[in-house]
Order: sequence, then C-alpha cells, then structure tokens
Amino acid sequence: MGKRTVFYNKHIELGAKMVEFGGWDMPVQYTSIIEEHKTVRNSAGLFDVSHMGQFFIGGKQSLDFLQSLVPQDISKLKISKAEYCQLPNDNGGLIDDLIIYCLEENLYLVIANAANIDKDFDWLKSNTDGFDVTLDNKSEEYSMLALQGPCSSAIVRKIGIAEALQPHFFTIKKFGMDSINGYIARTGYTGEDGFEFIIKNEYALMLWEKLIEAGKEYGLKPIGLGARDTLRLEAALMLYGNDLTDKTTPVEAGLKWSLSVDKTQNYHGKEVIVNQIKNGADKKLIGFVMTERAIPRHEYEIYFDGHKTGFVSSGGYSPTLDKNIGMGYVDTKDNITLDATIEIMVRNKLYKAKVVKRPFVTKKYKIS
Amino acid sequence: MIVPEGILCSKSHEYLLEDSESVYTVGLTDYAVEQLGDIVFVELPEVGSVFEKGEVFATVESVKAASEIYMPAGGKIVEVNEKIVESPEILNESPYEEGWLVKIENPDAHAESGDLLEYSDYKEELE
Repeated sequence: MGKRTVFYNKHIELGAKMVEFGGWDMPVQYTSIIEEHKTVRNSAGLFDVSHMGQFFIGGKQSLDFLQSLVPQDISKLKISKAEYCQLPNDNGGLIDDLIIYCLEENLYLVIANAANIDKDFDWLKSNTDGFDVTLDNKSEEYSMLALQGPCSSAIVRKIGIAEALQPHFFTIKKFGMDSINGYIARTGYTGEDGFEFIIKNEYALMLWEKLIEAGKEYGLKPIGLGARDTLRLEAALMLYGNDLTDKTTPVEAGLKWSLSVDKTQNYHGKEVIVNQIKNGADKKLIGFVMTERAIPRHEYEIYFDGHKTGFVSSGGYSPTLDKNIGMGYVDTKDNITLDATIEIMVRNKLYKAKVVKRPFVTKKYKIS
Repeated sequence: MIVPEGILCSKSHEYLLEDSESVYTVGLTDYAVEQLGDIVFVELPEVGSVFEKGEVFATVESVKAASEIYMPAGGKIVEVNEKIVESPEILNESPYEEGWLVKIENPDAHAESGDLLEYSDYKEELE
C-alpha cells in the first residue's frame, strides 16, 4: 500500500480507480481517461497533485545555493515568478525537473516530483556546505490541487479571486478566503491555462469542495493521473522517469530553451551541459506521429533507415488528435529532421511514423 | 448489459461461448474491459490461423497499456470482428454482443474448457 494524500477517501467516494504512482495511492481515472482528457481541453478539470513535493529554501545565501544546483540563472527570477528548472548531477544527467518559485527575497519554493522527493532533498542537503541556507521539506504538510482548462480562470473568479487579482502566467501569489489561505500559481502540466494551489493539508478538502461547487456550471470534473499523462504528452511536457532520467541531459531532452546559456556561476553538471550546448549531444529528443496503425510505448525501439537509432521515451494515444503519438531519443548522427520517416518496433514488427514538431497540440496559456 | 447465458470465463478474463456445434465466440469479459478502461487499439489474428489453448492470439490496448489476450480453448480462427479494429471503443460498450473478438472452430473445445468458470462462479472468484 502506498502513501495517501488527504484526498484519498474523496477519491474512493467518487469511485476512482486507484493505482500506485511514485509510492502513492493515486486516482488513475474516475470515469474514463478519454472523457476526463476532453473535459480538461474543453472546460476544466481538478487534479489532486498532493503527492508532489514542496521544499522551502531560505536564508541569506538561498539564491547562491540554488545557483550552484540548476542550469537556470535564478538571479533573474523576480519575486512572485516561477521558472522551469532541472537538477543535474555532475555528469549533466538529471536527478529531477522542478518548478522554482521566488516567494520573496531569500525565500524560494521548489516543487519536486513525487517519486524523487527524498532523492532530491538528500541531494540538496549534501550540497549546502559553505552556504547560509535553510532547507525545509514541507511535502508532508502541504497538499496541492491543479485546476486546469479554459474555464479555470472563471472558476477561480467564482471562488472569490477576481481576474485582476489572479496571478499571471508562471507567477505565484498568496491568497486568503474564508478560513483558507495558501499559494495560488498560474502553472500546470496540461498545456492549458490553469492554476495550482499549494495549501496546508488542513485547508485542502475545503478548497476542493469550494472549487467543485464553483466549477459545476462550467462542467468541472475531477481528473485522474491517466488523463494527466495524455494531456502532458500532447503538450510535449517532460515526464521524469520516462523522458528525463539520470542518463539524459537537458540539452539532449530538447530543453535548451529553458537553460541560461550565459550563466556565469558554476553549477553541477555545467561542464557537460555547456559543452553540449556548444558542440551538440550524441542523442536528441524528437516527437513523432504514427502513420501506421500501432501505439508507441515507453522503451520501444526506434529504427531509421533500417537500423536501430534509439528508443521511445513516452508514447500513447492522443485523444485530441485521435492519433498515436510519441517522443523518443534518437542518434544525432542519423540527422533525423522534421517530416523524416522513422519506424517503431511494436511486438517484433516495424511500424512507420513521421517526425513532427512538438508540442503535438498547441498550448493555450494566457500570457498577458 | 446482458451477459449471455452459457459463457465460460478464464482466469485471464476471456470468455468462450458456443455458437453452433464446434464454433465458439471468444471475447473479453465485462470485468476485463472495465479494468482496462478506454480501449483504443485492437490487433486480431488472421482468419485461418490456429492457436493452442493458452496461446496469445490478440492484443488489446487501452490508453494506459497493451494487454495480450489468451485463447480460452484451442482452435482455428474462422472469423474476426473487423468492426472493433475500426472502432475499438465497441469493446467497452458491448463486450458480449457487438464487441466479440474472434470465432473459433474446434470440435473438442468443450473438452478443453474444464478449467473455465461459469459466469456466476467467475464473478464470485473476483470478489
């Protein structure tokens, strides 16, 4: 039996099918993955993402400390802003990918993947030498809800946060209403406009009820991890453990856009990452759509021109496109470019696919 | 959903239903399709191919994963349900009527079905 979020009984009551994910018992679906997926794309969905980790990093040298850990230039992260970051080891491979929020001067909130909470926190702790910094793993005390989809902003307005007071894309704010308070951020993992609430466990169920009630007229539904995965895949967002591992660097993963290439400070893995930015890497991530009837899955082999060139990192059925899509790593030497034909080995047979641009489905963030 | 009378179910959740003498319909139980969730892909064998009892003869994929489907009894494939290849969701909607997988021919199928369970016993085992 895995760990339970404060919403466990709620999920059971709603008839969710539960699965183990990253050491947690989580709802994979309430009704149907495809239905839930479409609900998020067309109206709004509510996700329990309390399994994710929250670290608060404070102290006079919290900035310098973070600078020594991530390839992003955190000195440019203004108060209330969020940044998508990675946590590389000394070989440039990834321990995790993270969202870092700057809450105030010398106070950062780091969101870690559920399965990596202990590993990340150990890594952080082992690197504090010489820094005046405090690390607080609050993952057990905090819950997290993601409200995602085009109607999210209207629902947030209805629970009492007027549009003008809502955080802009990739920013975070404190909020308080009735007896609930916490953080609200305009971030997510679906490619839709939406919010993430980071609140103490004691407020979590109250907030859930409030959102569900406010969302009724918009068709808001609870959404499981199954649809979370198909949604993020369509948006070509990375899943740690599949697309990112300790054997893949941010450059190989096509995350160069997220790196601060001119960052002067030293950080773990910098040598490898800077070298790859300059000279390229041996493998690269591509996106593809199957042109023959087969579903690509994690770890299936990718072929090009009759030889093996790599493997699928994530793949599956896209409810929005009604096509089978995937991402995978291929050998850079094969010079596989957009529109190229590759083949995926499915149950000992090769099926054709076409290399396409990522994301597969256009993101609909409200960037103002 | 009406469960047809006389179906026999395997522990791996396939069913066998006698159509006429020596011809049987093979499909997935309602429990199986419910557990799989949204089915989005079906791969069926060629008509004429022959499988032993317990052999993998088809693959069904839900959004989450691919599952191999086993023969509840041996036999020769005499018909496949092309409709579910085009519209796999039929399996979820109607596992016993529209959503059958294949029809097999085997005069000895009944003799091979000793370990299969009647639906009521099968349901009881699941609880």
